[in-house]
Amino acid sequence: MKTDPITFAVIKNALDSIVDEVAYTVLRTARSEIVKDVMDYSAAICDAQGNMIAQAKTIALHLGAVPEAMAAIRQEFGEDLHEGDAIVLNDPYQGGMHLPDIFMFTPIFLDGLLEAFSVVICHHTDVGGRVPGSNASDSTEIYQEGLRIPILKYYDKGVLNHTLHKIIERNVRVPDRVLGDLKAQQAACHVGAREMGKLISKYGRDTAHHYFNELLDYAERMAREDIRTWPDGTYTFTDYIDDDGFNDAPLPITVSITVDDDHLIVDYEGSAPQVPAALNATKSYTNSCTYLSVRCILNGDIPNNEGIFRCIEVRAPEASILNPVMPGACAARALTGYRVMDAMLGALAKILPDRVPAAGEGGNTVIAIGGYRPDRTPFIIVDMICGCWGGRPDRDGVDAITNPSQNLSNTPVEVLERQHPIRIEDYALIPDSCGAGQFRGGLGVRRSYRLLAPEAGLQLRSDRTKFAPYGLAEGQDGRMTFNWLVDQDGIQSTLPGKVTMPLKRNQVVIHEQAGAGGYGPALSRDVESVLKDILDEKITPGYARKWHGVVLTPDADDIDRDATVKLRESMVPRSGGAL
Amino acid sequence: MQYRIGVDIGGTFTDIVLYDETGQTSISKVASTPDDPGKAVITGIVDMLAQRDIAPAQVSEIAHGTTVGSNTILQKKGAVTGLITTRGFRDVLEIGRIRTPDMFDLTWEKPVQLVPRRFRKEVVERLSAHGEIVVPLDKSSLQTAVRELLAQGCEALAICFLNSYANPVHEVMARDLIEKEFPSLLVTASCDVLPEMKEYERTSTTVVNAYLLTEMRAYLTKLEAELTSRGFSAPLLIVNSAGGMMGLDAAKSRPVFAVGSGPAGGVIGAARLGQATDLGTVIAFDMGGTTAKASIIDKGVPMLINEYEFRDGITSPSRFTKGGGYMLKVPAIDIAEVGAGGGSIAWIDAGGMLQVGPVSAGADPGPAAYDLGNDKPTVTDANICLGFIGETGLAGGSLTVNRALAEQAVRIHVAEPLGLTVTQAALGIRRIANVNMARAIRSVTVERGLDPREMTLMAFGGGGSMHAADVALLLDIRKIVIPTMSGVFCSVGMLAADVEHSLVKATVGPIDGWHAGTLKAPLDQLEADMRQRLKEEGFGPDRIELSFGADLRYMEQSSELTIPVDRQVLVDEGGQALHAPFQAAYETVYGYSDESPVELVNLRVTGRGLRDQKLDFRALSGGSHAGEIQHSEKRQVCFSSADIWLDTAILPRHHVLESALDGPAILVSYDTTIVVPPAARATTDGCGSVLLDISQMIEGSGQ
Repeated sequence: MKTDPITFAVIKNALDSIVDEVAYTVLRTARSEIVKDVMDYSAAICDAQGNMIAQAKTIALHLGAVPEAMAAIRQEFGEDLHEGDAIVLNDPYQGGMHLPDIFMFTPIFLDGLLEAFSVVICHHTDVGGRVPGSNASDSTEIYQEGLRIPILKYYDKGVLNHTLHKIIERNVRVPDRVLGDLKAQQAACHVGAREMGKLISKYGRDTAHHYFNELLDYAERMAREDIRTWPDGTYTFTDYIDDDGFNDAPLPITVSITVDDDHLIVDYEGSAPQVPAALNATKSYTNSCTYLSVRCILNGDIPNNEGIFRCIEVRAPEASILNPVMPGACAARALTGYRVMDAMLGALAKILPDRVPAAGEGGNTVIAIGGYRPDRTPFIIVDMICGCWGGRPDRDGVDAITNPSQNLSNTPVEVLERQHPIRIEDYALIPDSCGAGQFRGGLGVRRSYRLLAPEAGLQLRSDRTKFAPYGLAEGQDGRMTFNWLVDQDGIQSTLPGKVTMPLKRNQVVIHEQAGAGGYGPALSRDVESVLKDILDEKITPGYARKWHGVVLTPDADDIDRDATVKLRESMVPRSGGAL
Repeated sequence: MQYRIGVDIGGTFTDIVLYDETGQTSISKVASTPDDPGKAVITGIVDMLAQRDIAPAQVSEIAHGTTVGSNTILQKKGAVTGLITTRGFRDVLEIGRIRTPDMFDLTWEKPVQLVPRRFRKEVVERLSAHGEIVVPLDKSSLQTAVRELLAQGCEALAICFLNSYANPVHEVMARDLIEKEFPSLLVTASCDVLPEMKEYERTSTTVVNAYLLTEMRAYLTKLEAELTSRGFSAPLLIVNSAGGMMGLDAAKSRPVFAVGSGPAGGVIGAARLGQATDLGTVIAFDMGGTTAKASIIDKGVPMLINEYEFRDGITSPSRFTKGGGYMLKVPAIDIAEVGAGGGSIAWIDAGGMLQVGPVSAGADPGPAAYDLGNDKPTVTDANICLGFIGETGLAGGSLTVNRALAEQAVRIHVAEPLGLTVTQAALGIRRIANVNMARAIRSVTVERGLDPREMTLMAFGGGGSMHAADVALLLDIRKIVIPTMSGVFCSVGMLAADVEHSLVKATVGPIDGWHAGTLKAPLDQLEADMRQRLKEEGFGPDRIELSFGADLRYMEQSSELTIPVDRQVLVDEGGQALHAPFQAAYETVYGYSDESPVELVNLRVTGRGLRDQKLDFRALSGGSHAGEIQHSEKRQVCFSSADIWLDTAILPRHHVLESALDGPAILVSYDTTIVVPPAARATTDGCGSVLLDISQMIEGSGQ
């Protein structure tokens, strides 16, 4: 079949608009803050073979995990798929990523033939297990992490699977929310099926599938054309996770990228072995993070489909933190994924120094606080804190922004306080937390929680308390992460990066997230930008003097230019960041 | 004789419509004066009246849609604005909702802060989520903050305290203190603009209001003074974002409600015309030079949203692009906008795909055929290559067109790289533009679960009538209406609108908890406030119409559906009366409903002040205009297939008023070019509209 460029564009736009509509339906109908406010979910459309042909502007990191899940479904059910089916799974060892992420797939039929799939993945507030939120980083086996849902039909030819429904209802802490969000997933999948049906019948199945394949080829072609311009060779970078929460040993994530003409071989040999904590990332998740890192620095507006995966081969040693075996725990694998992305970008910076930013905050922090109100009704807060971007080759990083692998939002303070016995004491940028550079890193953010209920359990997952976000091209590292507990009597003590502990009324948990790394030598920073940051109280005069050699006038409202020139001349260039 | 005037300022032209008691209208387009937009308004009105020998005192009302609000934000020329907020929350505005509009884009930057950090000050105070005072407002910390901001040069202040939606006490104290002790400052407190939950949305809306105060006041005060000095005594009314009119004082103190003033006039006109001609559900489709806009009108009522992000002209059709603009949580017509208009430039991307827009050649330099310095092909150039636009050109011949330049641009930049002929390439450009514009329509129809095939497409704006049939074909829409004066339809629409305000009151709680009688107090409060506001604008009780609404959701959801409610039923029966209508509305939108408890979030009231002499489409009669062709001619036009050029009649628009017309044909008037494709049939409706029926085209395309 000949490809008409116009029909091609029409179908591409139609798919984008359908998948956005699917995602929008989730947002409007979901019940939990983590889905409706934080937007930790994603939506995609796959063709009849299971190739992902479109993804909504939601969680980017879910992108690469769909193929594996789809393969597992095909293996489980073969041809036993029917109109009205809704298949769910969450087991990392059978197509899933971590237990809170429940995947839902609905096959789409037209005249009795399988044509496509709607896919919606939601992070659920709780799936049972030993810790509220089911997201602890200190579980040692997957059996502690909650309900494992094998690949099952939640709806079978339109009929609800009551057995599965009741098992979920009985095993999660907040069944209304979980079942409500599952309903949102199903409503959204239904929208995808309806719209895909219209699209395919409009063009006819042969034409439609021809163009679906063309879209995959087009993405692959664009990716290969770009990669071909990269210098061949092997480029290695190592970044670290602080520790696994049980002992102090840092966990290296080492990546070697080999550029070979128009494709990449990405090998994680040298990364930490599987850990007895919940930081193990499944191979599918490792793939995801790898694809995403490459996707972020490719030029051009490439469609969000799996065509680009075809030019990237990912290798990760078995039984490592990036390719675990049973019964490794996985709940906090997102953190590992962030570090994979940091390591990937560090290596890519060696290939394409003019495209890659310095390191951002290192991934969102998860704070889960769960317990009972005085009337014994349960509450669970799963709050995610983001983030900042590193300095870039031609501009500053960004203050207070989602990690680019996610596109998460935040929970409004007023919503949190209205729904839970908690008071947020502050939510603010942290001055001086940016890594200095010609282009500075973004500032980290601080958020503090005062418990108003009698008692609760706290589970905190943060990182970058020992390994700061790296600077690039002589830029400085960002400030590290800090956590504190303030007692009822006002005494402040340090908390570790990862902790599960009880919390009492009026205790305050303070999280200060890491700031991002800087790009380029700090002494080369334009003094007007330094002054602007001082006047905005994003950096202090002391910081400006220390890193940028900038001296203020006695009124501290302008730059003393002569003194600045002198000071800058006297300062030997400081040693750089990680490169 | 009394006259009313509608004025709309566009990027290229300022459009003026004059309307008299008998329904006679006349229109005029004058060049816009972007540096001082009021200048074109005054000269345009004065010249028009002079030509017709009408005295200013005979004008009874001037309705105005203004882009001053939107331009003030886009050009960052608002007040030096400070923000007073609760200790610990100085950065709420800058942190925002932390999303990015696109994935995978590491070069992205946040919109420039309207209030930079140095102008954001914290004061000591704290309310709980239920409005109890946790820490009383410390006046000395407030005074210190305000003094610092004054010393820093602030002209306007926004006040937004955490949880103030639950209790405005501290904001009111702070506002009153500042107005008393620092009278030079313009102040907006969030409780006066948006007493709703979610601190970022409320802060952002309040800040934008404060930011607009100086420019909007200066513009409106000057315009009013100029009009007065020339003998006009008529009230000046401003179109708000929701398509209602607001009085001058309201526009000066709450300009955030008028940021979407520009495009709203056309939508409200489409609503009134649709109502007058019983069109049912209408898609208002407004195609300009840079963007195309679509919105839905159901039974004469435009679909409204309660929040949107204002950004630079072009919105992606995706509804997920949070973070790309300034959040405004005010009622606005739900307009989807895509970067495809007459000036949109066609180009080829790295993967070899033909793209159109979002970059636009605008009005200056404009399409390649204008020979004003742009050599890239635009949608208008494609239309010229295909014969839709003749060389005599646009706007009554005031712009000349060079067809050879249009063809050259298409050949070099599209046809040759893709191995196509110029005609094939021009058809491709046109088709992609049509698809992109259809996407705007999709986002307000199918993405809301609405089927466009049962609706009527009402096309207006500079290029709407040239693309209407093809866009409709993409969506299987059979019925198209090109309204009278479609090229200046935004101005026409303003004359058809009522004065309108909306107020909201947070009433968060499960509907079961709102027993009979308990909603009386908040409803009374809303009604009293609304009546007071309309009274101030000169409307007596007999000319006020109120309608109430409730924002509802299932417990624990974050998005609400607004449903209309009967005030008395709600008072008598309490929240229970809301259950059935909510279930029905939810089922319609999302395809399911369930047994979860339903929560009432806000009550709303919309108040209309009924105007005496509203434009009535049924009683309209238009005059003729200089520059209109009077005789028919023939031209070769390529409609859909590159090897078929049809000998096409080019007719004056009024031709179709006399008899039905089968395509192919092109109808031309002072302000509009209407394309009637082969197999389409054009008729008229008695309100001056041209109706296109494309049923045969749809059947012919095999669907």
